[in-house]
Amino acid sequence: MNASSKRIVLAKVGLDGHDRGIKVVARALRDAGFEVIYPGLWLSPEAVVRVVAEEDADWLGISILSGAHLILVPKVLDLLRQQGLSHVRVVVGGTIPEEDVPALLACGVEKVFGPGSPLSDIVGYFRGSQPVPQT
Amino acid sequence: MAPATETFLRDEKDLSSIWDAYERGDRRALARLLTWAENPQYRPMLYQRLRSRTQQPGSFVLAITGSPGAGKSTLIGKLLPGIRQRGHTVAVLACDPRSPVSGGALLGDRIRMPVMVEDQGVYIRSLAAPPGRQGIAENLDIRLALLERFGFDWIIVETIGVGQADVAIGDLVDCVTLLIPPESGDEIQWEKAGLLEVADLVVVSKGDLPGAGRTAAQLQQTLNLPGFPAKPILVVSAAKGTGLSDLVQQLETSPRRRQQEESQARRLLLLAQEILAQRFRERRELVAQLMEMARQQGWDDWQAASQLARGLMANHAADSP
Repeated sequence: MNASSKRIVLAKVGLDGHDRGIKVVARALRDAGFEVIYPGLWLSPEAVVRVVAEEDADWLGISILSGAHLILVPKVLDLLRQQGLSHVRVVVGGTIPEEDVPALLACGVEKVFGPGSPLSDIVGYFRGSQPVPQT
Repeated sequence: MAPATETFLRDEKDLSSIWDAYERGDRRALARLLTWAENPQYRPMLYQRLRSRTQQPGSFVLAITGSPGAGKSTLIGKLLPGIRQRGHTVAVLACDPRSPVSGGALLGDRIRMPVMVEDQGVYIRSLAAPPGRQGIAENLDIRLALLERFGFDWIIVETIGVGQADVAIGDLVDCVTLLIPPESGDEIQWEKAGLLEVADLVVVSKGDLPGAGRTAAQLQQTLNLPGFPAKPILVVSAAKGTGLSDLVQQLETSPRRRQQEESQARRLLLLAQEILAQRFRERRELVAQLMEMARQQGWDDWQAASQLARGLMANHAADSP
């Protein structure tokens, strides 16, 4: 089993103190057998990318409830690309209006989980897209 | 650090090129090797490569241990700026527990270790430590060796919240610092054998809370009995920032325990146990055969366990050059 196929960084980016949702998602993923790294609130895009690099994460889950997703998310994705980390798969959760989803997907986000997304969908997504184990 | 191709880590399945990048000081390659240290497929090769020595002086490896909520992560977060100000680079391996139920983990230590985003002199990595492993992640020795070779002056290992008997960390590091929060025991508690014995340094955390002084005084009285080696006891408050520079100073002059022969031997014992445990997990058919034989032969548990150890070792020997 390749241990690296189980590491997920869940991050809050920008001025957004609402962390109830991300903690619920973190718990569900922990209980589904993933290693979840939660670096806390109010991180800059640069700080998030630094965490992803240091932790050798396979996924980055960004939670945003501040409305700044169209500014912050593309910035994170640009930084990932600049630092040679474009293999990291990015998903976004939070209060994302339907009409903003295409823009996020277009900039490289793999999946958006808006309000009301069942936990089983989120866990199922991470299970389903798990890279094929090496060896 | 020159950004290599975008797909560097995605496409690179091959140890040599990751290793070369790591030797050039690429932090992404370091991160990947720290992940691969968990993978039995890569571990023998990593040990082999780590054998060749580098010129640089070794790291000072410090363990911070103590009960859950004692303030380990917070203290490390507060120590980092002081260590950096003295011109040292520092890596942190922060262990949190892995679930015995799901195998998952929530790794949240680094919340308490804010770092200047552009500071390349700090590296923090979160690790999941399985249950029953005395509070440390598996393959910690190889991860420490990787960080040491990368050139960090200091390496800090944060154990998971531990109890009285989680002493294995003592053989992997130069100095064990034990955190004890105020009001967490009385004189008799400090007489007991275990973790307190392997601690080189005892720190009463949350020094701003009432009772901290009393706890420190009790520890002082009980641990530093006449005729026994003296153990420094410090009071630190991360909230108020007091006692931190005393602690860093104390640590800088700490003796280095890893060089002791006895520690080296016990480190190998840990590794040997890991090899057997891994065989046990991988060769279920061998274990099933042995269980069947034990039933047929009417072995007692001691005999059966001896045969199991023998069988696993023979199996390992057959695969190893």
